[in-house]
Amino acid sequence: MTASPAAPLPTREELDRLLVVVAAQRDRQAFALLFKHFAPRLKTFLLRSGLPAGVAEELAQETMISVWRKASSFDPTRAGASTWIFAIARHLRVDHLRRERLPRAGGPDMLEEEDDAPSGEALLLAAEREARVKGALRTLSDEQAAIVRLSFFNDKAHSEIARELGLPLGTVKSRVRLALGRLRALLDGET
Amino acid sequence: MTISHHPSDETLLRFAAGRLPSGPAFVVATHVSGCAACRDRVAAFETVGGALLEEMPPTPLAPEALARVLAAIDGPPRPRPGERRRPEPPLLPDGHALPAPLLVCNLGPWRWFGAGIRVSRVTIPGDPAARLNLLRVGANRKLPEHGHAGLELTQVLSGSFSDRLGHYRPGDLAEVDSAVDHQPVADPDGECICLAALEGEMRLGGLLGRLLQPLIRF
Ligand SMILES: [Zn+2]
Repeated sequence: MTASPAAPLPTREELDRLLVVVAAQRDRQAFALLFKHFAPRLKTFLLRSGLPAGVAEELAQETMISVWRKASSFDPTRAGASTWIFAIARHLRVDHLRRERLPRAGGPDMLEEEDDAPSGEALLLAAEREARVKGALRTLSDEQAAIVRLSFFNDKAHSEIARELGLPLGTVKSRVRLALGRLRALLDGET
Repeated sequence: MTISHHPSDETLLRFAAGRLPSGPAFVVATHVSGCAACRDRVAAFETVGGALLEEMPPTPLAPEALARVLAAIDGPPRPRPGERRRPEPPLLPDGHALPAPLLVCNLGPWRWFGAGIRVSRVTIPGDPAARLNLLRVGANRKLPEHGHAGLELTQVLSGSFSDRLGHYRPGDLAEVDSAVDHQPVADPDGECICLAALEGEMRLGGLLGRLLQPLIRF
């Protein structure tokens, strides 16, 4: 692997293809390229999720190990590589918190039980959905995008967020509702 | 099955982000396993998660990280602790199958919880303190009037109930916010079985509620 800092980011299609190759041919070079792209981003994601650096490092590695082991269940028509890998990391993070026995941890493993027939809307090509989601995130106001991000990196109750921002609870709640309403409209293809 | 009551977008987003406490997360998983519309919504929110992952600036891993991972993928898979599905899944009291997400959980005995109401505590593997309960409410029976410090999620598994906010049938999920005091009543045509979780403490109202308060850890 040559790591020139100016190397262009792999496209979504390239990442999906690498993952398919890892599944079909157990190709370690393709896996190393996925590792190079995703592991450092996973680490940042996990750090921002509030995990200490050592744990973020460990879970980023564990996520990549799962990527190798579960690669055969990756279906690019259902979700892109980054969404699929996000879901693995989410599950490992929840699992880690459960092992720590933090009372707020938990959650079922959604990855294992998605064998039911997809609905009409779910047949929407994953690529199209991702383009729509990315478009939606760009279209949201800064505050609205921040609220959506907050949901991924923070599990504070709104009352706590309100206190931190010095805003009345009702204001925070209505802003969250507004941001998610806007996101929903954008995802549903309205403008 | 027509589903008319769904979790809010906010709850589905927290679920997709892995940020709901485990009790509510299992109630939402039960709803989502039977609701195509919410499955689509969760899939869209997971895509938001994927997009956020993509936009993260990279943080270098330890220098030996790739070598360690390449060594690990050659080894045998590490067995996952805890989650083992039982050989014969238990049935609900009315003979219905237990929802799939609950198959990894332990179900406690049905205990008396006021006239015509029984509660079975559901234990989530790895999170014994989580508050998740199955409720059996006899026809026309009322749950004690209550409010809560946080979110209350109730998924109807069989039968139906009403409160002042709506009428809930199998597959429906009632999401009630902290501010609301309400009193669910099972419909007259039979027993109602629900799966319920709270994010905060429950505050029971009325004399019966005050008597029950010390007995329950909802
Ligand atoms: Zn639904």
